[in-house]
Amino acid sequence: MFTFLANLFRPRPKLGPEVIQSALREHFRNFRALLTANNNALELMSAVEEMLHSGKPFGMAFVRGDLTALTVNVYKMMHSLVALSDGRYKDLHERFKIITDQIEAILSRQPEVSGTALVLTMDEIDSSAVDQVGSKMANLGEIRNRIGLSVPDGFAVTAAAARYFMESSQVQDEINRRLKTLDIDNLEALYKVSSDIQDLIRAAPLPDDLETLIREHCARLAHDAGGPIAVSLRSSALGEDSVHGSFAGQYRTRLGVDATDAPAIYKDIVAGKYQSQAIVYRQQRGYRHMDVLMGVGCLVMVDAVASGVSYSSPPDNPRSPWVVIHAAPGLGDQIVEGSTPYDLLHVSRESPHDIVQVRLANSRADHGCLSDRQVRELALLSMRIENHFGSPQDIEWAVDRSGHMVILQARPIGSAVGQMTVPTGDDERESTDRFAEQAPVLLGGVTASHGVGAGEVFKVSCKQDILHFPKGAVLVVETPYPEWAVLINRASAVVSESGQSATHLATVAREFGVPALFDLPGAVALLDNGQIVTVDATARRVYEGRIEALLDAAPHRPNLMEGSPIHKLLKEALVHITPLNLTAPDSPFFKPASCRTLHDITRFCHEKALAEMFNFGRRYGSRDKSAKQLYVVAMPSQWWVINLEDGFREGADMSSPFIRIEDIVSAPMLAIWKGMTAVPWQGPPPVSLRGLGAIIAQSAMNPQLDPAVRSSMSGRNYFLLSRNYCNLSVRLGYHFALAEASFSELLSESYVNFQFQGGAADERRRRRRVRLLGEMLREIGFRVDIKGDSLTARIEKRPVPYLKERLVVLGYLLIHTRQVDMVMDEEGFIDKFLSKVRADIRTILEDMVADSGAEHETTPKHPAG
Amino acid sequence: MKQLRNILLVDDEEDFLETTSRRLRRRSFEVRTAARCAEAVTEVLSGWPHVVVLDVMLPDTDGMECLRRIKEVAPHLPVVMLTGHASLQASVWGLEHGASDYCLKPIELDELVEKIIIAHKETGAPS
Repeated sequence: MFTFLANLFRPRPKLGPEVIQSALREHFRNFRALLTANNNALELMSAVEEMLHSGKPFGMAFVRGDLTALTVNVYKMMHSLVALSDGRYKDLHERFKIITDQIEAILSRQPEVSGTALVLTMDEIDSSAVDQVGSKMANLGEIRNRIGLSVPDGFAVTAAAARYFMESSQVQDEINRRLKTLDIDNLEALYKVSSDIQDLIRAAPLPDDLETLIREHCARLAHDAGGPIAVSLRSSALGEDSVHGSFAGQYRTRLGVDATDAPAIYKDIVAGKYQSQAIVYRQQRGYRHMDVLMGVGCLVMVDAVASGVSYSSPPDNPRSPWVVIHAAPGLGDQIVEGSTPYDLLHVSRESPHDIVQVRLANSRADHGCLSDRQVRELALLSMRIENHFGSPQDIEWAVDRSGHMVILQARPIGSAVGQMTVPTGDDERESTDRFAEQAPVLLGGVTASHGVGAGEVFKVSCKQDILHFPKGAVLVVETPYPEWAVLINRASAVVSESGQSATHLATVAREFGVPALFDLPGAVALLDNGQIVTVDATARRVYEGRIEALLDAAPHRPNLMEGSPIHKLLKEALVHITPLNLTAPDSPFFKPASCRTLHDITRFCHEKALAEMFNFGRRYGSRDKSAKQLYVVAMPSQWWVINLEDGFREGADMSSPFIRIEDIVSAPMLAIWKGMTAVPWQGPPPVSLRGLGAIIAQSAMNPQLDPAVRSSMSGRNYFLLSRNYCNLSVRLGYHFALAEASFSELLSESYVNFQFQGGAADERRRRRRVRLLGEMLREIGFRVDIKGDSLTARIEKRPVPYLKERLVVLGYLLIHTRQVDMVMDEEGFIDKFLSKVRADIRTILEDMVADSGAEHETTPKHPAG
Repeated sequence: MKQLRNILLVDDEEDFLETTSRRLRRRSFEVRTAARCAEAVTEVLSGWPHVVVLDVMLPDTDGMECLRRIKEVAPHLPVVMLTGHASLQASVWGLEHGASDYCLKPIELDELVEKIIIAHKETGAPS
């Protein structure tokens, strides 16, 4: 095909009209292919950009899918342009290659693992080891070695070890394959994939040297303890950037493990990376699975008489003067799992740490599971830990048989997103009084996560229930187990009979901005499945029905993707995609070598393809073969028409330098033209009565009206036509506008595009003008994007009659928005103008419906008549 | 340009071949399938297909190599790559070696049909 065209163009001799026509057809085919690709590329770029800012969760499959599709379309544009231009612009390919390689490198970047040690002992670990052992173990090491508090003896199996295990067992490819096609909204499939993947990992052999190492270290711990020991194994994941996400309760902890089983349980903890709630969590929060690496802590079990959680400052009120302690007898994770009653203690943050408020799990007992001395000691330790790390801490602790306080874990509180402004007690009253007139069906409990949500009640007590949980329902449970977290992104609110704000589920709810109200005994029995309720977690009330006023006043959900690895990665990739560096086509820098982004290449190809279509006639030494002046109402206008293929009526006089509007059969052009001429343009300046064609012509000829008119072709107002295609480039008044429309039975070739840029007025007026125009276009179904004073509007994949109507309106707006310029500052003008425009549009569209039977519906109406 | 009617589907997934060919037939296309590249090339040599829809993973050879072979024997035959492998580099490689399009699974049938029609329209030999 290239050589065919090249041979055609090299000599400039006389060619028969049929040869020219055939070359023009070939040209047109390439041109159309380029335009289709251009539209797809622009659409994809805006979809990706929108996704980045929407706050909605998206995964790597989306990112890779859209960017691959974008690459394909940009490539097609280049390919078509090279064909159109007989091989000029070939050097675009080089730029394209560089840009796409940069993008690919960003997308496939692996997280780095630092260090080669497979195991580190407690005395080797502090904050600086976080890249090797994960934040949980690094913090614990820091507490032991830098603050000097007691922590269990033990060791960390590093991320390097986990990678070594996964690589040597070669299960990762299989895991990736299964995850790739997983739709996390299909919970049944999610559970299946999650459990299969975990089985794969548990069944994979541990490398001998790693297994030996784990056994040796367990033996050392037993030796130091002077007898057989039980250990706990805890996940300590890397990449769970605690500033961005809590990952609360996502992974696995195993308590009371016989040391001989440690290697097998180690694999189980590593497999916990693929627990269903962790898969969902990563997807919702924008983590790639490979961004998370599993460090594992192996610690000697504490023989505890009491254990619990302490907040150096309560999670829902950073200005509180209290350390908040939750304590229960024995050891376990019951408190963070939410399954056990507990003592609640408020202790002053300041020395001497007065114990101010006490609520005991067993109300008939005369003391709690901790002595006052222990409570004060715990408050003191909590403050030391907070002071060391520099922010409020969430601390897990235990008291051993000898009464010794041992720290099991510490992490920053509420550093994740989803913190909202925290209402004080007064606001609770007020919010209820202001918005809800009816009495609540439930009252009281603990605010586990602030906010208001409404939906149908759905009770969950087992995995089977989870599968049937409807999107947007209110999750009602007896106990806030971490497993319910898979439902957090589907639930509008959570109500639980037990639990408090320390539970993992509460942490995750806060992070996702899902309101949660816990500790409401009787809730499960009181609420019925399917019943619509509004949960005001902040005011601690549940109402019957939807209370819109309450819902409206509630804060919006947080942007969960912002700052996540995938978000960052996409943002970084977009640097090579969306910025537009090439703007002015007449600048010497408008060349392939200046293209730095895919958008630049898109722009370059589009512009040069248009130029090629214009120059087609000149190539044959005769411009008029294709470009003709439009003849309207018996006089030439300043509108030019280029017939790309079959836009003229058969038998039209092709030798004339003019073409009559009656001889044009391009459906999209006739639709625009109809809109342009349907209603006379009403001053100022005063309107000549010679007909609309003349007015339009005048505006293009009169330099006072249009300073932008230039003698070159690119400065003219022109239509490129075929029967089902039209590309209109226009300078009216101070504006530059480009309208492009294609009608086709193929929906991807059925669209209207419109670009508009303001000219000479001051910035404020230009912006106001595009906003006004954007508003009108939105009303009729365009997707509008406004940046500064330039506007892009698109409709695609709609049936032809729908598009035709929009084109008529567009034609109308093109002519009439000029008016806005002249009088925009007049008092009340905008409203008057808008109501006139709306009335006109209604009339035009009604006329169209009335005319729709007529064959020549698009013959312009004579405005003066 | 030949009227578009005959479509050759090349994919190693039996399920995909079966459902897709059934649906395409319902849209009045003639469909043949091939699970291996060698079979695909034989079909192409016979001159039967008007458009080929080709997966990137095949048991006997990788789809890219298969694309090269098809293009070797039929340079003007439109080939639409359809794959689960979202890779910028693979897509560019495919287009550079003559693929008309590079689409990602899963794909709606309507979209696939459009891609096939457009590939046929744009890639056909000059008339």
